[in-house]
Amino acid sequence: MANHALAPLALLETALRARKLDRTLTTTLPARPSAEAAAATGIARLDEVLRGGLPRGQLSEIVGARSSGRSAVLLQLVAAATRRGEIAALVDTFDQFDVASAAAADVDLTRLLWIRGIGSPPDRAVERALKALNLVLQAGGFGVVTIDLADVPASALRAMPFTTWLRVQRTVEGSDTACVIVGPQPLGRSAGGLTLMLDGRPEYSRPQGSGLRPQTEARGLGPGACLSGVDLAVRVVSPRRQLDDEIRVRADVR
Amino acid sequence: MFGALYLVDGSADALLEVAREVTPRFEICGRGDLALDLAGLTRLLGHPHALARELRRSAAARGLHVAIAMAGTCTAARLLARHAGRVVTAAAAPIVVAPGAEAAVVAPLPLALVADIEEPSTLAPSNALPHDRTVAPSHDLLSTFRRWGLQTLGDLAALPADAVATRLGTDGLRWHRLAEGRDLRPLRPAVAEERFEQALDLEWPIEGLEPLSFVLSRLLEPLAAHLERRGRGAAVLHLRLHLVTRAVHERSLELPAPMRDARTLRTLLLLDLESHPAPAAIDRVVVAVDPTPARVLQFSLLQRPLPSPEQLSTLTARLTAVMGEGRCGSPMVADSWRPGAFEMKPFSPTPNLQAPTSTSRTPTVALRRFRQPVSARVRTNEGTPVHVAIDRRGLDGGCVERCAGPWRTSGDWWKNDPPVGGGVVGVGSCRAWDRDEWDVTLGDGATYRIHRDRATGAWFVEGIYD
Repeated sequence: MANHALAPLALLETALRARKLDRTLTTTLPARPSAEAAAATGIARLDEVLRGGLPRGQLSEIVGARSSGRSAVLLQLVAAATRRGEIAALVDTFDQFDVASAAAADVDLTRLLWIRGIGSPPDRAVERALKALNLVLQAGGFGVVTIDLADVPASALRAMPFTTWLRVQRTVEGSDTACVIVGPQPLGRSAGGLTLMLDGRPEYSRPQGSGLRPQTEARGLGPGACLSGVDLAVRVVSPRRQLDDEIRVRADVR
Repeated sequence: MFGALYLVDGSADALLEVAREVTPRFEICGRGDLALDLAGLTRLLGHPHALARELRRSAAARGLHVAIAMAGTCTAARLLARHAGRVVTAAAAPIVVAPGAEAAVVAPLPLALVADIEEPSTLAPSNALPHDRTVAPSHDLLSTFRRWGLQTLGDLAALPADAVATRLGTDGLRWHRLAEGRDLRPLRPAVAEERFEQALDLEWPIEGLEPLSFVLSRLLEPLAAHLERRGRGAAVLHLRLHLVTRAVHERSLELPAPMRDARTLRTLLLLDLESHPAPAAIDRVVVAVDPTPARVLQFSLLQRPLPSPEQLSTLTARLTAVMGEGRCGSPMVADSWRPGAFEMKPFSPTPNLQAPTSTSRTPTVALRRFRQPVSARVRTNEGTPVHVAIDRRGLDGGCVERCAGPWRTSGDWWKNDPPVGGGVVGVGSCRAWDRDEWDVTLGDGATYRIHRDRATGAWFVEGIYD
């Protein structure tokens, strides 16, 4: 009886499939974007979940509180881009980029355009940084373009026109550039981009036999303690997909 | 028909003028040694003898003592002119050889002449007098030929060419052909030095960048076309603005790569003038470039193309206009132990010749560094920080949850400057530092790097681990 009832349904599905009417706008999207369509972050587990990395031609975000590992993920993204032979740009709003950390993260510094902002006053610094971001995006040719707004005061963020990120999204659309904002909270809210929400927990350890390590006993820790790394918890927010799992990554101190 | 001028006495520059009066196609074979292409000049100046007389008259008018020879090949003309310049008296008439008779005419000449025209390096240095030049008697082949008993060019030309080539290789064959008065290569005419410059006198003085933009376009477009015709690019761009105050406002832009795109050059000049404007109205504009061979680009099918130097130059100039001088470029790790030391260099990425790698790596903890350390008030218990209060809005202090340290670092103490609290980090700083560093995690979960200056006992926040 059941088979008898399903037969017309199967017939209907076959007819729709033959006329290519069995698809919706969502299902016609490619199931898995190619590696060229995404800028890999260089973190294997994260790239696996992101299906290759952060989408090119879109505005993505790395968001979190202080010491949540935003800069670690950002440097990893830039390092992966320069390893692929691409060039990257960093708009450093408050001039807080640490060159030694970038070198330790294996960033090819010759392929990085570092634009150093002037920190004060914050409103003017953000305005100049956004101008610089637009210039870099309009010039084109960059694999990854990032703007660091991590330490921008909340008042300055609120003062930004709501069309700012829409314009940035329009500029980057259709290009091979993955544009990334680093901030304390979601700002861009792009429909095609991704948001990486980070949370970090510092880890201290006591290396054995290291004569150069601390001389005194630290608070709650024994002698020889040092900051060994940060345990990162990454949650991916995508307007197109539901990703509930948290990804655990460890960042080491080098 | 070719001619050769060999300077015996006088100025080599004046000899160039003599050659230019007759033909624009001449090769400078050495100082005071010119080879002239005289093809087609007989219709203009008459018989070759008349041409030779004209050359002689022109040289004499400049006070030059020159040996002149004309022949069907450049080699024969040069050999004869050299021989005449050394051996024959100054009053000797120009030598004119009918085409086809070159081998016979050069046959009695000494073999050493070939060594002289074969090796330009045997010529005397440019500041030496022409009569100081000597034949190269120590040439290996010349010694060999002398051992064989050969004295003149005719002796060598009489030998079978294949036998000479078998024994002496291609060098021997070259000498054999030269001894016959044959040319080994076409004449390479000297190209006159060109000036790449455009100027415009304005009827009315102009002020501001917008009207100047149109003037620059008008000047740069023919300049770019001229550069393109000559296969050249601009290495340095000079702009001279003559002002109504009779002053001259000059700007020079050193370009990172040879370029000749008029729009790019105009944009670069305008961006430079935005930050260095002319102090008065302009009544004359002069644009000049230092030319250099143009770039030859080979793109790859397999690699992502980099932006062109024109694009990068324009981008860098625009960014500099927004952010300030020296605030964009590629960072470099400085060869120093100073915390936070770095250097900047112009951003000029090169194509990646190695295969791109996409290996995943473990992330590294990064420091967000305060270029000027932020002062802090730290409460300690037996030398260990227990509470941090940071003197900057937006940075929350608090109780220390966990900490590690201290790491003692010092440097530049051998210099005379006394240690200064906080120790300015970054470019150009050369003050001594001596401090104890701590990593502290506060109650809000943020981990800071703080340090205590050992000279003053003051505490500073150096950065945030992120």
